Amino acid sequence: MAARTGADWRPGKGRPRNGRSALAEAALERAAEGFIGMDGEGRVVLCNPAAAALLGIAPSGLWRPAPLAAVLARSTTLDPVSATALAHALWHGAPPGEIAQADGSVLLVAVDGTTGDYRLASLRLKPAPGRGGDPVDPMTVSNGGKDFHDRLTAMLPGPVALLLIGLDRFRAVNDSHGHPVGDALLQVVAKRIRSVVREEDVVSRLGSDEFAVAMRNPAAAQGMGARLVDLLSRPYLIQGHVITVGASAGLATGPQDGADAASLARAAVLALLQAKADGRGTVQVFNGAMETHSRERRQLEDDLRRALALQQFEVHYQPQLSLDDDGLAGFEALVRWRHPERGLVPPDQFIPLAEELGLIVPLGEWVLRTACREAASWPAHLWVAVNVSAKQLADRDRLPRAVAAALAAAGLPGHRLEVEITESALARNEVDALHVLHALHKLGVRISMDDFGTGYSSLSQLRSFPFDKLKIDRSFVRDLASSTEAVAMVRAISALGASLGMTTTAEGVETADQKRVVAADGCTSIQGYLVSRPVPAADLPGLIAKLTPATSAIAERIS
Amino acid sequence: MTADLYRIVYCSRNTILGLSEDHAAQLETILAKSRENNARDGVTGALLYSEGCFAQTLEGPLDAVQQVFERIQCDHRHGEVTVLQAGPAESRLFGAWTMALAAPPDTAGEALQQALLHQDAGADVLALLNGLVSRGEDWLAAA
Repeated sequence: MAARTGADWRPGKGRPRNGRSALAEAALERAAEGFIGMDGEGRVVLCNPAAAALLGIAPSGLWRPAPLAAVLARSTTLDPVSATALAHALWHGAPPGEIAQADGSVLLVAVDGTTGDYRLASLRLKPAPGRGGDPVDPMTVSNGGKDFHDRLTAMLPGPVALLLIGLDRFRAVNDSHGHPVGDALLQVVAKRIRSVVREEDVVSRLGSDEFAVAMRNPAAAQGMGARLVDLLSRPYLIQGHVITVGASAGLATGPQDGADAASLARAAVLALLQAKADGRGTVQVFNGAMETHSRERRQLEDDLRRALALQQFEVHYQPQLSLDDDGLAGFEALVRWRHPERGLVPPDQFIPLAEELGLIVPLGEWVLRTACREAASWPAHLWVAVNVSAKQLADRDRLPRAVAAALAAAGLPGHRLEVEITESALARNEVDALHVLHALHKLGVRISMDDFGTGYSSLSQLRSFPFDKLKIDRSFVRDLASSTEAVAMVRAISALGASLGMTTTAEGVETADQKRVVAADGCTSIQGYLVSRPVPAADLPGLIAKLTPATSAIAERIS
Repeated sequence: MTADLYRIVYCSRNTILGLSEDHAAQLETILAKSRENNARDGVTGALLYSEGCFAQTLEGPLDAVQQVFERIQCDHRHGEVTVLQAGPAESRLFGAWTMALAAPPDTAGEALQQALLHQDAGADVLALLNGLVSRGEDWLAAA
């Protein structure tokens, strides 16, 4: 792609020149370094043969001043995103320093100076890294959020549509095929996007797998989003691998959804999150409800962070009844959040959020301490069960230490504490989790498997650890009357538990019929509204008295 | 040359070809363009169009096949692309055609639908394309 003639590269040639400027031109023509000169309107007025060769532009097309973006768009060595980033950077006089070319080599770019309205930029190829040097990652250098932010700002306040496109399952491509294939895929994705948007639309790669398109024509944006989702979801052939990823898009329109770049981008992000939550492969248009939802969630986050310090949490206790003698066996401790304005917030509305925010660890430990202290005041044959989250199982030492400390502080023997974990919590990090469970067993604490039957690896997990109890998920119990399969499941789980030396508790038992069926099927205990709903600690003495048969109450008093 | 020969077989759904009398003309346009490109890139292959479905195979050097495949992906005249088979190939099956047209549309449909149902649809579709290329040329000539 070298220059064929020396005469074509001087825009505006033919003007009278003196000897010195002819000399300067001759020097530029022979220079190994590429030079691009721009005028005050962002037009290329000078592009020497070295620059044309580096950018893969035919020098014959450069005899007339042309907009920088248009010149760079003709580059055969730059992908469209890099070309856009370079044009933008040169125009603003702040080049990113390094620009990735489609073949993986890197251009070093510098703005060498300005003369009046004119600006001169130099280009040269970055020397290939030597053996043992750091490999060049062509994707980390091509563009950035700052460039895009500036361009979006320039398009506002006029009507502008911002499409944010997220690739689904991109990480899986990197994991299974390696980063070079992932990077090559992103280059092709950028090309596909460029191939359908208009020339004046601004395309940028923002995150690792997110692209943004800013369009002057909002009316066409939703259709464009749908087209891009379709196009990017089509198969790719990369280095001999057939690769399929999905795409989702969020759309926000300025100025109504956001008058500045930051708020417009925020609206587009919310729309993209909604698209992903809706099962991906769709375009979601921003609406006010997303903002409200997001604000409410932020509020809930703030409240949740405060709640622990303000001691707004309470522990409620739900009894379990042994089916041997209909006697009270123990209580499951359940955390409740008493919000000053919302009232009692159900666990499913704040536990997942607490997990996400990392608050579940201190919250879980607070529940543990509170429940142990409470249980120490109960008759000695009653135990307390405490739920433990996946996050608490990730650290090998923390939970065993917290449990030992809670037992010691309350004066509660280890065998009166039961720790409940779910199948999914165990599956998330089985090695560390099993380490924790064995440490808890050494303290005399019993371990039960919660929500059994709803996970996916139940049976192999049962072999991985000697659980003391299986809690049969409430969904099976709920369907007992209507589904013979549910009856068969309860019977099978009970038999499995019995043969492995584990007790079984049926959860969510609400009717006498359900109790009768699970008892006949071999369950050893029940929990549910039939016995009692969860009650605050203050109500426990009354509930314990009510559920304890007179004879054992007497025995308790004598012992 | 045969060392880096690569073949891909895929099917897709037509999204734009309209009335049946237009098929021949539109197919001819698609074929002419792809033959021109393929001749330049060293790619050979066969195309079957029937009842709203395309089935196509491309064979050639990996880089060239990737480029042609990518160009086809960006064509809005079809969608729902399913890759049936892709990998290195021993030799060209359609070495004589820059893009052979397989079978008259009206008779190939059922055979294609049948092939797509099979476990190894890629091999079945390839065999189908192979068996029908000569009839396709005759059909286009007559149309």
